[in-house]
Amino acid sequence: MIEDPKQGLAMHRWMVLSRALDEACCQESAHWFPSRGEEAVPVGTFYGLRPDDVCAPGDRGSPIVFVMRGVALTQVWPGALGKRTGFGRGRHFSFTAPIELRVLPYIAGDLGPIISQATGTAFAQKYRKSDAVTAVSFGDGTSNRGDFHEAVNLGAAWRLPIVYVIQNNHWAISMPLEKATAAKRLADRAIGYGIPGVAVDGNDVLAVHAAVQEAVRRARAGHGPTLIEAETFRMRGHIAADTASYRSAAQVEEWQGRDPIRRLEERLLAAGVLSAEEAQAVWAEAAQEVGEAKAAAQRHPDILPTDLGLDEIFSTPLGGA
Amino acid sequence: MPARRMTFVEALVEGIREEMRRDPNVFVLGQDIGPFGGSLRSTLGLWEEFGPARIFDTPISESAAAGLCIGAALEGLRPILDISFGEFLPSAMPQLVLHAPVVHWLTLGKARVPLTIRTKVGEGPYGGHPQCFEAWFAHVPGLKVVMPSTPADAKGLMKSAIRDDDPVLFFEHMYLYHGVRDMVPDGEHLVPIGRADVKRPGKDVTVAATAWMVHRALQAAHQFAAEGVEVEVLDLRTLAPLDVAGLLASVRKTGRLVVAHEAWKIGGLGAEVAATVAEQGFGYLKAPVVRVGAPHTPVPAHPTIRRAFLPDAQDVTNAVRAVLKYSA
Repeated sequence: MIEDPKQGLAMHRWMVLSRALDEACCQESAHWFPSRGEEAVPVGTFYGLRPDDVCAPGDRGSPIVFVMRGVALTQVWPGALGKRTGFGRGRHFSFTAPIELRVLPYIAGDLGPIISQATGTAFAQKYRKSDAVTAVSFGDGTSNRGDFHEAVNLGAAWRLPIVYVIQNNHWAISMPLEKATAAKRLADRAIGYGIPGVAVDGNDVLAVHAAVQEAVRRARAGHGPTLIEAETFRMRGHIAADTASYRSAAQVEEWQGRDPIRRLEERLLAAGVLSAEEAQAVWAEAAQEVGEAKAAAQRHPDILPTDLGLDEIFSTPLGGA
Repeated sequence: MPARRMTFVEALVEGIREEMRRDPNVFVLGQDIGPFGGSLRSTLGLWEEFGPARIFDTPISESAAAGLCIGAALEGLRPILDISFGEFLPSAMPQLVLHAPVVHWLTLGKARVPLTIRTKVGEGPYGGHPQCFEAWFAHVPGLKVVMPSTPADAKGLMKSAIRDDDPVLFFEHMYLYHGVRDMVPDGEHLVPIGRADVKRPGKDVTVAATAWMVHRALQAAHQFAAEGVEVEVLDLRTLAPLDVAGLLASVRKTGRLVVAHEAWKIGGLGAEVAATVAEQGFGYLKAPVVRVGAPHTPVPAHPTIRRAFLPDAQDVTNAVRAVLKYSA
């Protein structure tokens, strides 16, 4: 059963596009952070948010969130290819979205600080008495940082309109979750903060979306944050070049059978919402769209040495506000 | 402009109060800054005037508070973060050095972080948490670092910091807090960020100093005047970016430079000041540059060894005598 066929089809398209974009990025760069198998978390989390809501997607799978917020693929690729026309003009590790789309940038390479920054956008939303909310996602590895504890505790204490989503993919580079924590379920950590903790099947995009939307409703109504653990799996290595030889093939194989896109597709097919031909067309279109956008971006101008931006450090010039 | 006599901390709070009245986007957060009035009265009276809608007591979570400020600033607010003491700055380091200073540059100027971070450092009657870490922050591109020495500069720089669209780290010296009282202009008194100030003119030696060391340098200058030696006391006020032009202008005049700060001498800001003059003003120098700073030990607790640790007016005097030995 698909409650809302339109929504199911839309999220299917976003996940397929995410996969196509991710595969292409992996081919482009050995250092890319692959998101294959985890698409349901960013798509299910950030689908359906309002333009005045703030999105702070974790770095694994974030480009599809940029596209969902309105960035064209032709604008995504220049950043990924290190072209001058990219939003960060070569200053950012990977790429980012324009701030006016209310997608928080990943400012530095360390993990965790964005959780309190997202708590800060939620603070601003409450300060201004708006009913906008913030959603932030991050990995299970990041949830072991002090940043997580301080931010979630503060967001809970001040009942801020925010949804914290742990994209639990079981691996922090080579560190398996069970060695990183004695907690059985990361959602249980919510108890310590006095907020609801929800564990959800992170490979079921409809379930992720429903759980996040429920948390969004709570946040909009002024009831404060929710902690959601979406359990998924990192199907590839930490980066495209990582063969992940440190983990068992059996574990990967087991998760292969739970692919989030195939699972949704089967449901859509069974419900008669999508035909096999239409499904194929979605995959073909996504691949084509990604390829064309990349080809177009390759013709964009390269970064120049002057793009270092020596005199763009400060906003207010020295000598007076 | 009419002026009133007030302490350093009263001047700081007046600057904040005026900016909060002027702009509803300005708010203050930190530990014990509400009904408690702030550690060492750093926010006294603000809670009574602005209440819980603008003044936010945080849990002991410096890092989350700093990150929250960045997010709030990205949404257009202008936070003032009160980090009670400089000793707590390391807890918020990723937000302060990796994140806040980078945003403007990273987003090609589309996003800004108009954030003022104030913190107390240095020796004082209270005796606790005196770590002076300002040089760490002056090292980081994208941060403005200020450290005033007088009530008037404290107010004027605070107002400029709050109106500035970049993150400004505001170091407030604990001895000066209640220990210095002086005239402070009413109302619209803005001291520009990035400008040093000659607190006492002189032609023989420049002492470039910060915070309490400015007062110790003035003390030394007063004594030298009796000997016919004119010491120019240059208050750096802004540590990052340094007022290189102001520094060079003073050294061009005097030909001799002593740099004095309470922080450790090794790797301190004095090293940057000395190197800048060596690179850009070597021709003006009649003597080697001498630095005054704390010895390289952790800050001790007991008053006896604390006195041995802290640079004082005598250290400035000794340094001035050392550079005077070299004739033109």
